[in-house]
Amino acid sequence: MATNETVIRVEHLSKSFGALKAVDDLSFTVGRGTCSAFLGPNGAGKTTTIKTLYGKARYDPSPETRVEVLGFPIPARELDAKCRMGLVPQDNSLDEQLDVERNLYVFSKLYGLAPAAARRRIAELLEFMELSEKARSRVRELSGGMKRRLVIARALLADPELLILDEPTTGLDPQARHHIWDKIRSLMKTGVTVLLTTHYMDEAWQLADQILIMDKGKIALSGHPHRLLEEKIERFVLELYRPELMEDHTSPAAATFRELEEAGRARRERSEARAILYSNEESDLASVAAGLPAGSFITRRTNLEDLFLTATGRKIDE
Amino acid sequence: MNNTAKAAHRVAPWTSRIGAVWYRHMRVYTKTLFSNALPPFLEPLIFLGGIGLGLGAFVPAIGGVSYVSFLAAGLLVTSSMYTAAFEMSYGTYIRMEFDKVYDGMLGAPVSADDLMVGEILWCGTKGAVFSACVLIVCLLFGALSPGWILLSPLIGFLTGVMFAVASLLVTTVVDNLDNFNFYFTGFLSPMFFFAGVVFPLESLPRYMLPLAEAVPLTHVVRLVRGLGVQGGPSFGLVHLWDAAYCVMFTALVGAWALARIKRKLVD
Repeated sequence: MATNETVIRVEHLSKSFGALKAVDDLSFTVGRGTCSAFLGPNGAGKTTTIKTLYGKARYDPSPETRVEVLGFPIPARELDAKCRMGLVPQDNSLDEQLDVERNLYVFSKLYGLAPAAARRRIAELLEFMELSEKARSRVRELSGGMKRRLVIARALLADPELLILDEPTTGLDPQARHHIWDKIRSLMKTGVTVLLTTHYMDEAWQLADQILIMDKGKIALSGHPHRLLEEKIERFVLELYRPELMEDHTSPAAATFRELEEAGRARRERSEARAILYSNEESDLASVAAGLPAGSFITRRTNLEDLFLTATGRKIDE
Repeated sequence: MNNTAKAAHRVAPWTSRIGAVWYRHMRVYTKTLFSNALPPFLEPLIFLGGIGLGLGAFVPAIGGVSYVSFLAAGLLVTSSMYTAAFEMSYGTYIRMEFDKVYDGMLGAPVSADDLMVGEILWCGTKGAVFSACVLIVCLLFGALSPGWILLSPLIGFLTGVMFAVASLLVTTVVDNLDNFNFYFTGFLSPMFFFAGVVFPLESLPRYMLPLAEAVPLTHVVRLVRGLGVQGGPSFGLVHLWDAAYCVMFTALVGAWALARIKRKLVD
């Protein structure tokens, strides 16, 4: 489904809150029919970036800045853009007093749908989101996953070309998360462009064609997840739970590692309670491991989380 | 899924966007109709019974009108004032800060102005409905007699809109729910007592008259009394001033409040 057409174009986007620069000179594009995922720690600027795309936040004025969604400049023509896109905000913001169907009906008016068309569309969406049986239930009777599906249905009322989801599955159990991922995948098959934010590596891994790892308002790393893993991080990692073993210069493991490091074949990252050793060769790590007591380490393939932590640093900045 | 909704890919005219916001509030409000519709009927009953009949027995007629009728005319607009003020202070604040209602709605093709104007008009509507409820009770109990006073819900609408914009302005200033206490006890309650509702303005000390003229409630109270509490209407030049005040107040305070709330709704 992916074509060369650009659905979102952002150039030199900055957003400050007082002295804090939440988004710092950000540029990216999203192609039609693709799924892009913003990945980043809390406060990285993911939600702020998304808010500027539909006029919920105003970016810092600058002659270089350009924000276009579906061909419309934002915020000048944000309403035109919003007619063709759906938004799933971080908070469900459902009308708890109303039933499922009424929640959608009230929103259909905001999109200017005629009553008959709205009812047809609502029936379709409830079916698609597997909420038909809950049509008459009050929102407060729904599970977390159902509420989230209802918010997605709400975002789809106007049959959007672009769907933006801010943390679609945060706080949901694994079943509910997989269910929602399946729905997002079916939407992608119909040609809907998807942009989402998440903290979950597996969510980005499962869905995205393009990952944008954000840190401190900037894009630290971006690209196709599989390619990123191939190009931006070693293939294997050894996690050692007794980091002091690496400090002991007399130990054979530390000596082996130093040789590898000097040869540029291994790299080490520190965290408080672990030593983390990377290498492209499993055998290199095995030679280090040979000098380590059993049970003090594991060796495995690297994953997106390793890449993410390498790109954004291991410190908790809150 | 097919394309039943493609027609929506055009921006709706502003009237229908505002109408959609109004519709949302109406739907949510009428969902709990019983608990929401009882107070506007009960309150005037309590007032007329407790104060009108009880206290009224000791009070002579005011301008040829019994005290119960005098008070009843004032209640036609104070009920609108309170319902609009609650809706657009506590209500708006909770929708904004706790329920995040606007965050969801702003994802749809409506602007922050659409949201707030729709809500202000909804407050006007509630003002009209509350006036009508008081009117019905007062007519049933003979505190008011039918005539031009049947038009009082229109003034109730105006009252609702005026206090909606005033309350919206206050909502942009407060940083927690408790701060609204200042608004209700510091502004609305004094107005209830000193704007010609429970006793005529003429009884106020002279130096307080300019103050009474400066606050919004005075003007809608005078307008509603102009309709004639018992008997025909009696409009004068002063009512032109009242109407002009209401229009100007709504326009100026409304524009100010909208500009301020936009800074809260849009980061």
